[in-house]
Amino acid sequence: MTEPKKTTRRTTRTRSGSASSSAGKSPFEFTTPAADTSQKVQQAMASLEGLATPSAETVAPPAPPEPNGSGAAPDLDVPVEQLQQQLVHELNNLIARLKELNPAFIPAQIPGVHHVLNAVQDVVGKSNFEKMRSVAGDLLDPATWKGAWYILNQTVQFQTETVKRRWHGEYETDEWGFDPEVMEAVAPFFEFLYRKYWRVTATGLEHVPNTGRALFVSNHSGQLPFDGTMLASAIKLEHPRNRLVRTMFASWFPTMPVIAPLFVKCGQVTATEDNGIRLLENEELVAVFPEGYKGVGKLYKERYQLARFGRGGFIRMALKTQAPIFPVAVVGAEEMYMSLAKSDLVAKAIGFPYFPITPTFPWLGLLGTIPLPTKWYIDIGAPIPMDGYGPNADQNLILVSQLTDQVRGVVQKMINERVAQRKSVFRG
Amino acid sequence: MTEQRVVLVDGVAGYWGGHVAERLLAEPDLHVIGLDTTPPRQGSGLDFIQSDIRNPLLADLLKEERVDTYVHLAFIESDRPNETAFDFNVMGTMKVLSACAEAGVKRVILRSSTLVYGAQPGNSAFLREDHPLNAKRNFGTLRDLVEIETFCNAFRGQWPQAKLTLLRFAHIIGPTAETPLTRFLRDDAAPTLFGFDPVIQLIHEKDVVNALAHAAIYDVSGTYNVAASGAMPLFKLTGLAGKLSVPVLHPFAYLGESVLGAQFTPIDFDYLRYACVGDLKRMREELEFEPTYAAEAAVREFAAVRKAKAVVPGLSPQDLEEEHLRAVIERRKRIREQVATGGPARHQPRGHTEAETVAASADSSLYEEQNHD
Repeated sequence: MTEPKKTTRRTTRTRSGSASSSAGKSPFEFTTPAADTSQKVQQAMASLEGLATPSAETVAPPAPPEPNGSGAAPDLDVPVEQLQQQLVHELNNLIARLKELNPAFIPAQIPGVHHVLNAVQDVVGKSNFEKMRSVAGDLLDPATWKGAWYILNQTVQFQTETVKRRWHGEYETDEWGFDPEVMEAVAPFFEFLYRKYWRVTATGLEHVPNTGRALFVSNHSGQLPFDGTMLASAIKLEHPRNRLVRTMFASWFPTMPVIAPLFVKCGQVTATEDNGIRLLENEELVAVFPEGYKGVGKLYKERYQLARFGRGGFIRMALKTQAPIFPVAVVGAEEMYMSLAKSDLVAKAIGFPYFPITPTFPWLGLLGTIPLPTKWYIDIGAPIPMDGYGPNADQNLILVSQLTDQVRGVVQKMINERVAQRKSVFRG
Repeated sequence: MTEQRVVLVDGVAGYWGGHVAERLLAEPDLHVIGLDTTPPRQGSGLDFIQSDIRNPLLADLLKEERVDTYVHLAFIESDRPNETAFDFNVMGTMKVLSACAEAGVKRVILRSSTLVYGAQPGNSAFLREDHPLNAKRNFGTLRDLVEIETFCNAFRGQWPQAKLTLLRFAHIIGPTAETPLTRFLRDDAAPTLFGFDPVIQLIHEKDVVNALAHAAIYDVSGTYNVAASGAMPLFKLTGLAGKLSVPVLHPFAYLGESVLGAQFTPIDFDYLRYACVGDLKRMREELEFEPTYAAEAAVREFAAVRKAKAVVPGLSPQDLEEEHLRAVIERRKRIREQVATGGPARHQPRGHTEAETVAASADSSLYEEQNHD
């Protein structure tokens, strides 16, 4: 819904750069010939595309150091001409694509923008109006509003059709229940958390392979399992191949309405060795949090001290599939809630694995569940190879226990280093 | 002609027994005997014997007829645990197995369900055949199946030369079969659970018959999950099937179930809450069986037939027939392609040509049953 508004803003910006040249060429008239209208619509839509992939050219005018040699002459006219040509090209592409998607689409009539603007012109006088227009740019141009209207209509229609289509079961999931459409729908929220709220700094992404299996072993913290979503977001947003990470969740989550199907539709799976082995054998990326509830439900005073690493199930998974283990340290999540105490009584009564008491929760109810905007670091360490232990190594209890401790030690060391480097919990 | 192998199918007056016997009759090297307390509708070529499976003289009959393979399909479905059904299902199976042991029957084939694993939050996404049987005991059919399976395991230990084949089928869907899932999908008032959308595994009714026949024809034994590829989320299933989904908060649903009993819903709420999906690796590699219908195709067919039955004035019987024929053509094409690529060569019945295989798996009976309605 907010897109059309953004569009208008963006259009204004690009137009204001070209106002000097184009305003002189075409006399401003409110009869709006068809060619002009379609051009404006195209323009609006091109800038919509610009939103998806903000290219340097769209926002070029204020940026003088252009890479392609125009640095010698900082003359505004040349880049503007190029810009216009490029815009027209992009527009034509976009229009063609929209038409292809939806050939029969005709937007509903926009109610009386012409009349309103004509009336305004009559009141303020033509010359004053021209002045206003040079300031307000496309906002006073009916074609802009037509373009915005067209896109708004398209968006609404698309959304309605998506809902209708999904209502009739016409969508695809994989055999695990992973539903790319749902993933796409929730992605902006997690991208906001990743980029804006916790301002995650991810390091060591160069270790993550472009193809093939890998097992991430991370510390677990923060009362709510946001660390899993942020680790997955880091790989999704910052890895060159934008790979999907399958994080494994404890068997308590499937009992929760809404959360359970959401997890599954985002590609996550219940933490069992069978699931992990199958995913790794399918050459996927799997993330585990061996501390489990003991880790995520840590008290504030115990922060960054790793709990027991489960029973070594993740090592057995890695040994069996010979998948390399990537140790991961998530720093910053511990401070997003300050768990002062845990109430076993309440937890037992409502069937939760633990029930934290923080300065705000449960006193403020749902408001108390809003996490603090701490600064996060996700450090991915160098892989620990798990091949070369021979067949049936996963049944060697001593080896499994040794490797569990080894991986735990590596993760603890990475955490300690990062915590020592960090100067502020909120600013990093 | 060499001597025919004798296959006895019990419960031939029922849906599964009847269809499996009919399917086996197409095999030239099998002699099929039908057993039931009431005569079946279609008797052509079927050597029918009227008897109860619990008759103490069953062993003598098996010995006299030199039965090689016993397909045990007599089963009474029940919502709530029911003593008559338990006596027939569990005690009946015990008697059948002991009679088979006494008469030296080489192989016994039984039908079970993947639901015996139980729907639990900690389940793996794909349950292997060695997963413990954790199903709750509040549904009659499931309780009986778990009892039968437990007894079969003990029986295998005591009679090692026995070749027991247990086929655990996923939820069965199809235009003619009456199963908990089809009842659930036809009944718009049957609730779903708010905020839960587990992955559901399916199999088409024809593939159930094919799998049972496959187990009777080929020399296989063991326990196998049998289901179509392409398990789908529950809401995709209800959407495709055109069922109105009425989400109920789960505490209320469980309360309703405990107050009103199992008939409150055709499928226990646990199975609408947690996934219970079988791993199909052994079905493909050891049983060497591949269902002809993918899950989505099976649901679409069910939906098309259901829509036609719901007296939609716009949809004529011709439209329906056309739709069916299209499905048949597509499937035959696929089978032919499979045969051409040489993949499931062993899936063909012995001594049959390619064309006959295609004909055998086409749904001729579907039309007949359709016309009855």
